[in-house]
Amino acid sequence: MEALRFINDGPTDPYLNMARDEAIAIAVGRGQSIPTLRLYGWRPTAVSIGYFQELEEEVDLGFCAAHRIAVVRRITGGGAVYHGTGELTYSFAAPEFDGAVPRDVQYSYAVICAPLVSALKRLGTDARFRPVNDIEVGGRKVSGNAQTRRFGAVLQHGTILLNLDCSLLPSLRVKKAKLEAKGVGSVAERVTTLEDVLGRRVEVPRLSLLLAQEFGAAFGCPLVDGPLTAEEERLVPALRDRYSSEGWLRRR
Amino acid sequence: MERSTTRRCGGGKLVKVTVRAQGRTIEDIRITGDFFTHPEGTIEALEGKLVGMGRGQIGGAVRGVLGGGNLVIGFNADELILMIEECLR
Repeated sequence: MEALRFINDGPTDPYLNMARDEAIAIAVGRGQSIPTLRLYGWRPTAVSIGYFQELEEEVDLGFCAAHRIAVVRRITGGGAVYHGTGELTYSFAAPEFDGAVPRDVQYSYAVICAPLVSALKRLGTDARFRPVNDIEVGGRKVSGNAQTRRFGAVLQHGTILLNLDCSLLPSLRVKKAKLEAKGVGSVAERVTTLEDVLGRRVEVPRLSLLLAQEFGAAFGCPLVDGPLTAEEERLVPALRDRYSSEGWLRRR
Repeated sequence: MERSTTRRCGGGKLVKVTVRAQGRTIEDIRITGDFFTHPEGTIEALEGKLVGMGRGQIGGAVRGVLGGGNLVIGFNADELILMIEECLR
């Protein structure tokens, strides 16, 4: 990898977030854009569900409407995630076949999560990658990640929990069976935050800087600041329309 | 008649299978959950293939699609076959 484009978007509309990730992946896959790391937040706050999830099974739509929480379906598989103000999301897009990202999907999760783990370690945590797609501290999940391979690109996005407003967790219908599989009785036991682990607040700018440095180190290349290209910006409106459509949200 | 079953499969991923059957033949099937497939179209392809099939054909169809160069993370063919057959009981 010769260079990694770095985009620091800040809190952004949920449907625009998904549209921008997909537009970048399409352009990277076509060779029109270089590999890209994008950091962002969610405003308004949102629940995102995985490509294969059944909407009504995973989300309390009434609770979300009452609390003005947006609901969006991702193009990546995986589970339902609440994206609040105490969370930083990243997306990483690279060409599928140019060698920087392993062909083996499960190994590629470890490789792309490695700079996340390094950044969390630099903050003073004992973070560890846990296959398939989690990063844990002390056996509790601090980061979830989801990957798709399409358009000739690998797109992986995921979250890091800095702090959490537990009062908004009822937006997710969390399955008892899933919690029992992890040996816990509640989401609060399964999930942790950097604030919980470190006993102090970590701010988004500090974590963002560490992530940018660690991605550059992991892939052995400089980071270059760069906005979305004209081609990517042209793709975004139609993608945003699709992500905000009832048809897409309710496809399963 | 519609029936569904949910199971925690390998790797802690939850899979739900919902089948609408006419007698013992699948009229419609949905496979949902927090798993991954590569490519993602694998699941829709499999669902499409299973329509019109009965118990005796499910195993071959599932193994054919899941084994045909497609990657599934979160469940395996045996688990899915059992779940579909359970819905057809």
